[in-house]
Amino acid sequence: MHYFFQRFVFSLLSLFILTLITFLLSQVVPGDPAIVAAGPNAGAEKIELLRSEMGLDKPLTQQFLIYLEKLAQGDLGKSWFTHQPILEDLIRELPPSLELVIIAMIINLMISLPLGLCSARYNDTKFDSSVRLFAMIGAGLPIFWTALILQNVIGGELQLLPIAGRLSFEYRTFEGYTGFFLLDGLILGRLDVFFDALKHLILPAFSLSLLFTAVGLRITRTAMISEFQKDYVLLARTKAASEPRIMFKHVFPNGAPPSLTVFGMQFGWMLGATVLVEEIYGRPGIGRYAVKAVTQSDIHAVVAVVLVVGIVFLLANLVVDLLLYLLNPRGRVDK
Amino acid sequence: MKSFFNLTFFVKSPFEKLALGIVFFIILISFLGDFIVPYDPTQIDFRGKLQPPSLEHPLGQDGAGRDVLSRVLSGARLTVLSTFTVIFVVLVIGCTIGIFSAFAGGWIDNILMRIADIWLGFPPLILALGFAAALGASLEAAIWALIFSWWPNYARLSRMITLDILSKPFIAGAEVLGVPLWRKVTFYVLPNAFDVLIIQVALGVSAVMLSISGLSFIGVGAQIPAPEWGSMIADGRAHMSTAWWVVVFPGLAIFFSALSFNVVGDALRRELDPLLRRV
Repeated sequence: MHYFFQRFVFSLLSLFILTLITFLLSQVVPGDPAIVAAGPNAGAEKIELLRSEMGLDKPLTQQFLIYLEKLAQGDLGKSWFTHQPILEDLIRELPPSLELVIIAMIINLMISLPLGLCSARYNDTKFDSSVRLFAMIGAGLPIFWTALILQNVIGGELQLLPIAGRLSFEYRTFEGYTGFFLLDGLILGRLDVFFDALKHLILPAFSLSLLFTAVGLRITRTAMISEFQKDYVLLARTKAASEPRIMFKHVFPNGAPPSLTVFGMQFGWMLGATVLVEEIYGRPGIGRYAVKAVTQSDIHAVVAVVLVVGIVFLLANLVVDLLLYLLNPRGRVDK
Repeated sequence: MKSFFNLTFFVKSPFEKLALGIVFFIILISFLGDFIVPYDPTQIDFRGKLQPPSLEHPLGQDGAGRDVLSRVLSGARLTVLSTFTVIFVVLVIGCTIGIFSAFAGGWIDNILMRIADIWLGFPPLILALGFAAALGASLEAAIWALIFSWWPNYARLSRMITLDILSKPFIAGAEVLGVPLWRKVTFYVLPNAFDVLIIQVALGVSAVMLSISGLSFIGVGAQIPAPEWGSMIADGRAHMSTAWWVVVFPGLAIFFSALSFNVVGDALRRELDPLLRRV
């Protein structure tokens, strides 16, 4: 219980610092917000009135408290380019991005964990060096460039997968309940929609995951190598346990937790990296929203995206840590 | 350091030698790029619009007829030098905070490292995006943004090394001799921390370079006519299906630079890292 409490306080503290950062970011905007809001023809009186209405005449600490109060009410301000409350925009844009990141994460785990385990088991063989080469290459590829190349070659030249969008033209009228088309397809029993949405997800999710897979692979491999050197593996070998049993029953469950922490962090980083992918593949989502907001210098919308990505990041880490705690009885004694 | 004069002791395989060669080449180009370019990298020539690679223009010409080779060479200055700027400033700031934190100890250390922990967590790209948006889009803004989001890496690392060094017997000896604090930092801590820091610098280059070009690609870094590799790709996107060279070559430049620095960083780590040696 003590650990839960400690972990929770740490998350709250992080959230506080996050809001402090986003508050300060929205303060750096060049120019006087009151003058901008009042418009070019406003007189000095109107500007003064707006200034006190917007709370700009108060000290910074008090403005921060007002900011927090608004956040608590879900008031993130209004977007200058969609002319809608930013909260509504984000609620609409978040599901497609989360869908993309979840699929990318699944690709990441499906490659990193098995390859990392096997390459640790066959350390210093040809197989291991080719896995390491793959990780090396993946860590050097710019996400946006890979995305463009894959889109043009696989989607454009070879026409194997759709180039852009979330669904094909014939499903343009499809509407779900959750905004997650994969989930909606399953709920409504529309498997055709499910597979169509999945097809549209493969290229963007793969481009997004490549860099993270490279890192995840390396970390899993390192963790597993040190796990294979432990005494219990030697004991299992002398007891003539089969190799698959040692790998999957002994080493994997013990070696996976440290890399799970990294995958938890990667979830938030991936959500941030959607700014590089979504626009290329013409997918709606907070990444594309953020890029649009930046080009329109809509600082409040950008800051709101920073805040939301930060919150998702904190939640993902919290969930992973609690999961590890529940999975690993040793942790309970240590803490 | 194994040998002061043999600076390339850490590369073993031909692959690593090649990577080190590329690293030296890229550093050279980033300083000399503007003097050896065959054409003016921003010279527009509409008659040569989207011409494929030829003898005169080995990497082809872009949508405005600019020479891609010249732009890639001259782009090394923008991309690589801004990466080095970020790394250098972050190294100085991070080490100052880290070493200070380790020497101060107690609650100061606790608070500083907690802040670094929390900071380190936030997705750097999105933090940089927010910062760049607040400052207005430019390469300088992107550089500041990355400095702003990257310092905790080095603060935590340098604190860890400093604590490790401070626990060594020679520090106790220095204590007895009454060595002043600044001497302890400059003659005891920094030389011993050098190995680990240089590894981190080599490995940090690729991450920072990918971020800078990524920020430029989405339009918050270098602005389009500037021959920064990321903005060159953004500029060439529209022509990609007909003129692949406009996008492929700057991308390869980023890829080979990032890859080479990673390979060199890994080789350095294998040879120098005391933490690895202990295992």
